[in-house]
Amino acid sequence: MTTYQMTSMIFRAAIVALGGLLMVLMFCPACTKVINLSVPNAATQIVIEGNVTNGPGPYQVSITTTVPFSANNVFPTVDGARVTITDNAGLYDSLTETAPGIYSTQGNWVGQPGNTYTLSVSVNGGSYTGTSTMPQPVNLDSVTFEQVSRLKKSVIEAVPNFQDPPGVGHYYQFAETINGSPLNKIFVFDDRLSAGNYIHQPLADDSAHLQAGDYLSLNMYCVDENTYNYFRDLAQQQNTGTFAAVLFTDVAPANPNNNLSGGALGYFSANTTQTWTGYVNL
Amino acid sequence: MPLPRLFGLLLLLLAVAAARGQAKYSISGTIRDTTSGEVLIGATVSVARGAADGGAAGGEGAHPGQGTGVAAGATTNAYGFYSVTAPEGKYRVVISFAGYGADTFFVMLNGNLRLSAKLIPDTNQLKAVVVSSVRKNANVTQPLMGVQKLTTAEIANVPVIFGEKDVLKTIQLLPGVQSAGDGSSGFFVRGGTSAQNLILLDEAVVYNPDHLLGFFSTFNSDAIKDVTVYKGEEPADYGGRLSSVVDIRMNDGNNQRYSVSGGIGLIDSRLNIEGPIVKDEGSFFVSARRTYADLFLRLSKDTNLNKSSLYFYDLNAKVNYKLGEKDHLYLSGYNGEDNLGINNLFNLEYGNSTGTLRWNHIFNSRLFSNTSLVFSKYNYLINDNQNNNDVNISSYIQDASLKEDLQYYINTANQLDIGISVTHHALAPGILNAGESSSFNSLFLPKKYSLESDAYISHRWSPTDNLHIDYGVRVTSFAILGPGTFYTYDSLGDAIDSSVYMGHSVVKNYINPEPRFSASWVLDDVSSIKWSYARNIQNLHLLTNSTSSNPTDLWVPSSNNIKPEIADQESIGYFRNLADNKYETSVEVYYKTMQNEIDYKNGAQLIANENVESQLLYGKGRAYGVELFVKKKEGALTGWVSYTLSRTQLQIDGINNNQWYDASQDVPHNISVVGIYKVSPKWTLSSDFVYHSGQSVTYPSGKYINNGEVFFYYTDRNASRMPPYDRLDLAATVIATKTAKSESSWTFSVYNAYDRANAYAIIFQQNPNNPEQTQAVKYTLYKLVPSVTWNFKF
Repeated sequence: MTTYQMTSMIFRAAIVALGGLLMVLMFCPACTKVINLSVPNAATQIVIEGNVTNGPGPYQVSITTTVPFSANNVFPTVDGARVTITDNAGLYDSLTETAPGIYSTQGNWVGQPGNTYTLSVSVNGGSYTGTSTMPQPVNLDSVTFEQVSRLKKSVIEAVPNFQDPPGVGHYYQFAETINGSPLNKIFVFDDRLSAGNYIHQPLADDSAHLQAGDYLSLNMYCVDENTYNYFRDLAQQQNTGTFAAVLFTDVAPANPNNNLSGGALGYFSANTTQTWTGYVNL
Repeated sequence: MPLPRLFGLLLLLLAVAAARGQAKYSISGTIRDTTSGEVLIGATVSVARGAADGGAAGGEGAHPGQGTGVAAGATTNAYGFYSVTAPEGKYRVVISFAGYGADTFFVMLNGNLRLSAKLIPDTNQLKAVVVSSVRKNANVTQPLMGVQKLTTAEIANVPVIFGEKDVLKTIQLLPGVQSAGDGSSGFFVRGGTSAQNLILLDEAVVYNPDHLLGFFSTFNSDAIKDVTVYKGEEPADYGGRLSSVVDIRMNDGNNQRYSVSGGIGLIDSRLNIEGPIVKDEGSFFVSARRTYADLFLRLSKDTNLNKSSLYFYDLNAKVNYKLGEKDHLYLSGYNGEDNLGINNLFNLEYGNSTGTLRWNHIFNSRLFSNTSLVFSKYNYLINDNQNNNDVNISSYIQDASLKEDLQYYINTANQLDIGISVTHHALAPGILNAGESSSFNSLFLPKKYSLESDAYISHRWSPTDNLHIDYGVRVTSFAILGPGTFYTYDSLGDAIDSSVYMGHSVVKNYINPEPRFSASWVLDDVSSIKWSYARNIQNLHLLTNSTSSNPTDLWVPSSNNIKPEIADQESIGYFRNLADNKYETSVEVYYKTMQNEIDYKNGAQLIANENVESQLLYGKGRAYGVELFVKKKEGALTGWVSYTLSRTQLQIDGINNNQWYDASQDVPHNISVVGIYKVSPKWTLSSDFVYHSGQSVTYPSGKYINNGEVFFYYTDRNASRMPPYDRLDLAATVIATKTAKSESSWTFSVYNAYDRANAYAIIFQQNPNNPEQTQAVKYTLYKLVPSVTWNFKF
């Protein structure tokens, strides 16, 4: 986690508190209203999501497009693309479309930490490439749980425990699946301020998603810097829907920087993966 | 114009002025309030030919060309001092000030004369005070443009949220000044950002004028005597920010008798104590206010709430003492802090401290000197004990200045202001202390030091009775000091070179002249045309990128990467007073260009980032507009109407394909109406109405799916606009008891009286009831807010 993120997180906590207190004390309790608004409508853009991991394949790349803000959340798939993954050790895999917009690797290969992978996509006259180097794996020793006080409630947060290797430049991403349902919340951490420490960083969550007795599957990914930056920026867009978060809204929201050329949205990440499963207990 | 030529011209003009001189004497002194002994800033002194039995002025032997009979006129400076010069003879001197009864003296001038006076406040403003031949058209004749003065009476009567009278909120009702948003102390002046306003409290810079993220300002109105706003065309003695100066002066304290006053409101209470140290010689003033929302929290049954803190306080104090006829000392200070914390887990404190020591010295009846030693600091501290993290983060900016200002009243037609100042800036961008058990390591971002040296010379000159010119130049030298490592960056933000400097070595020195010029051509007694040009330089830049003002917004000095911001503003205006100067009207048109404006790369990380300069983008700006203003100064009904039509655009390399785009502070239409109606000696009603266009904002122009979640797709920055804003506030003040020694009053007010749900922000999110859809949600900060305040004085 960068200092930026940490201070930002701390400030979010502060402002949640402040906003909450002000709301309790003086404001009208529900000063929100859904409105109709005319928003700009930009030309359709390609969205690519692709992963290579050190877990078993096949690996998948999905290609969709943007839709206008007012449209339903149905994102058209992009069919008939030419998709390849290569690496610096001579790998060449031409992916085939196994479902509309979903492209799967064909070879029986497994991603290797230290290798640099390149994704190339050609479709509808556009070509897009992305490069990612898989970091060395870091072992997730255990997952523990903490009860954390939030304003007017307390929530349970999962705490991954692991030894960060010496030196800066290690980036981590976490994903939670609770009782079989993936939680759409982005957790990232970097060691700029924690290099070489034993890390026990709670995965901060404002909502009570985790309950005692839940069955949790927690994935830890070691990602490269670009992927980390991408998800860190994307996480800024995750509005918690509280007034406090509104106070913290970026005045000039923008698309996260990514590692794809050609103006495509999305990411291509070569990352390690390790899964912990167990019941939530305090 | 090159500097040597400018100085040459100045000397020539002074020589010409001196050659016109003949046997003349000066009248000088200090003007005060008779009941409190407070000096009056901006009081008018008119000197007219005439003897005690001479009756009306304008007669015999008046200064050639002075049709109104006024031989000379002056206004008092920030310390109540004035000096006027006139040939030997009999004169009638009229001293007047808004809200006070005028005083008239008949003098025989045959040598330099000290004439200090005390004016009596109008206790009953309904009573028409008619003083003929008092010049009330200073707004027409003075060459300065874009300047607005607010009296404490105006600030006291304009309704504001929670009944908490607030200088910075009242300023937002003036032409050319735009609120940064509901519940914000921030404001935009003629297309500038909030960070381009220089806010001074007794000459000390207040770096963060906000309490509670801007819901309140740091200025306790009880402690304030005088507020002047310069909209980018300030005289040469001010400098440091691009778009405006807000010069706030604190009360000196009553030097006649002890007095206690205060108030109890919904949000806070205030208490002021003042009195003489030695009657007529010196006095003190102490003012404190504190919010008590957190006291209610203690009553809560919720264990998280009742152990939380949420308050701010302000403490203003001032003492002054007269060391003799020619010397006066003032010591003033301010300390304010916000504190919010949750249950000992988390705590945030931030605040400003300022201190000013001033020494007024009157060398002679024409030469006034002020020497100031000024200190200012803003800091924040965050303690986080959540999850055994045991981390604290702090940051500060601290200034120490020494200033010398001289005012030389040469003669009626010439006044020279000269000054120098030296300021040392120290910035600690971020200090992070982590405990043993923390996952974090401690981090100390290197401190940044700079030395700012300024000098100015300014000449007020009236070559003819119709032409008044105020021109001068300010030269700013900004030296960036070591120690430190200074990087240069390529366009991707990667460091390509670095240089290490030792302590006290000069890394880079920016020297910039700031020419200032303003002139008024008086058409007749009640109308004039003015023209003005000013250049302003800004060497301290605020990095911020969220909707509200954050305590962690970071000040950074100019550096090898960040160039000084430069603004050139030109304006022209027509000023006309109507109905015997009861109404002031004006039209001002301005055009401003800005260089080295700062913006951020998408996804910029501004907080605690050693390489924060790699996250910046640079460009230019332009702002133009027209401001219409009508003000009624006298009578039972007073107030003003202002309308501003303006545009503000930026062109930043790296944003919107390097095309010009609307700045966030671009608000084309802005209307403010303020009315204060004195119904009876007991009752005062007041109201204000505001309408303005929405600010330009970035809305999503599409959406996409990533890891199963919907995110928004953004294209052009600031391509959309918020809905327009409008609001009406009402207030009524009733004096409950009033005796010679004591007074108490109630103020009832309603903010947003017709309960308009203005948009504070618009947030785009998933529709919680239909996962297939996204929606735009309007967040409103304040709807109708009633409040009541009780004020007392004895």
